Amino acid sequence: MGKQIQRVTLAEIASTFFMIGATGFGGGMAIVALIERRCVVEKKWIGHDEFMHGLAFSQILGPFSLNSTTFVGYYLRGILGGVVASVSFIAPSFLLVCVLSSLYFRFHQIPELKSALLGSNPIIIALIVVAGLGMARKKAAGLESAGIAALAFAASALFGVSALKVLVVAGCWGLCKWWRTGRGR
Amino acid sequence: MVGILKLCWVFLKIGVVFFGGGYVLIPLMHRIMVDQMHWLSPKEFLDGVALSQLTPGPLAMLATFTGYKAGGLLGALAATICIFLPCTLLMLLISSRYERFRSVDAMSHFLDGILPAVVGLVFAAAFNLGRTSLTNVRDFVLLGAGFVILQFTAIAPMAVILGAAVVGLLLHFS
Repeated sequence: MGKQIQRVTLAEIASTFFMIGATGFGGGMAIVALIERRCVVEKKWIGHDEFMHGLAFSQILGPFSLNSTTFVGYYLRGILGGVVASVSFIAPSFLLVCVLSSLYFRFHQIPELKSALLGSNPIIIALIVVAGLGMARKKAAGLESAGIAALAFAASALFGVSALKVLVVAGCWGLCKWWRTGRGR
Repeated sequence: MVGILKLCWVFLKIGVVFFGGGYVLIPLMHRIMVDQMHWLSPKEFLDGVALSQLTPGPLAMLATFTGYKAGGLLGALAATICIFLPCTLLMLLISSRYERFRSVDAMSHFLDGILPAVVGLVFAAAFNLGRTSLTNVRDFVLLGAGFVILQFTAIAPMAVILGAAVVGLLLHFS
């Protein structure tokens, strides 16, 4: 929980998020799983709690993959870190879209990359599951939290409830519990 | 060529309103890009969606595609910056208040309540992706192999992802 002491260089932030942005095919949660793996588990730049809070805030406006990137960047090095992280993360996709667009508007055909994605898709799912298991071991271990996790899963996966609503309800549950237990009144 | 300023303004507006990310964007962008601005034909729009999904970036990379069509490389850059500017600014603001948020008791309990739900959402994302993209035995074999490698070895996930993509290309998965 302590504040991070190590000072991560901007170059290191840039190269890490550039790599994530260049390889996280599948987008969205695949990116989050990669960030979790690289920044939380391997480099220990940010704790599980902080990262998951960031992921929750990321659901508010715009793509959460980019937002989590910005959050981690800011956490490490303030505004500059946030901007460097998000720009580095988007850069590979930006370049790729520019190249593909120029081909597309010339030849009116999307290049055949489908088989590559068919190969990587199952890996992406595996990656997300591994990240999810890591988080679950830390944050959904008790009966109650496991129950909340299961409910959130069902709401989102089976009933299509938006992530933001799920999170707000879960947060309110946390608040209610705190009130009921007296909160040191 | 569309005025770059016009392009910036339109994408900035889109960037401000796309709450909840991803798929809210498609109908909204369709109305603006195709019906109002005529920057894309309906077919180009659909191809643009497919194309932006080929990248690791979010679906909003559709802005880059549209910007490219409407204003070349400069248009692509302007559109990309403008659509992501609002959410990035908001995230920077939230991040800068984060430590202070957390030290408020009520907020920290709210945030603690959120954590298990985040776990559920992560699994839901895997489930939703699996529902659409795991279609045959080969996919499940890859999934299993990927899981074992990622869970029990220290091989960089990037290498595993790219490796699988190469396998897909070489074996002509379809």
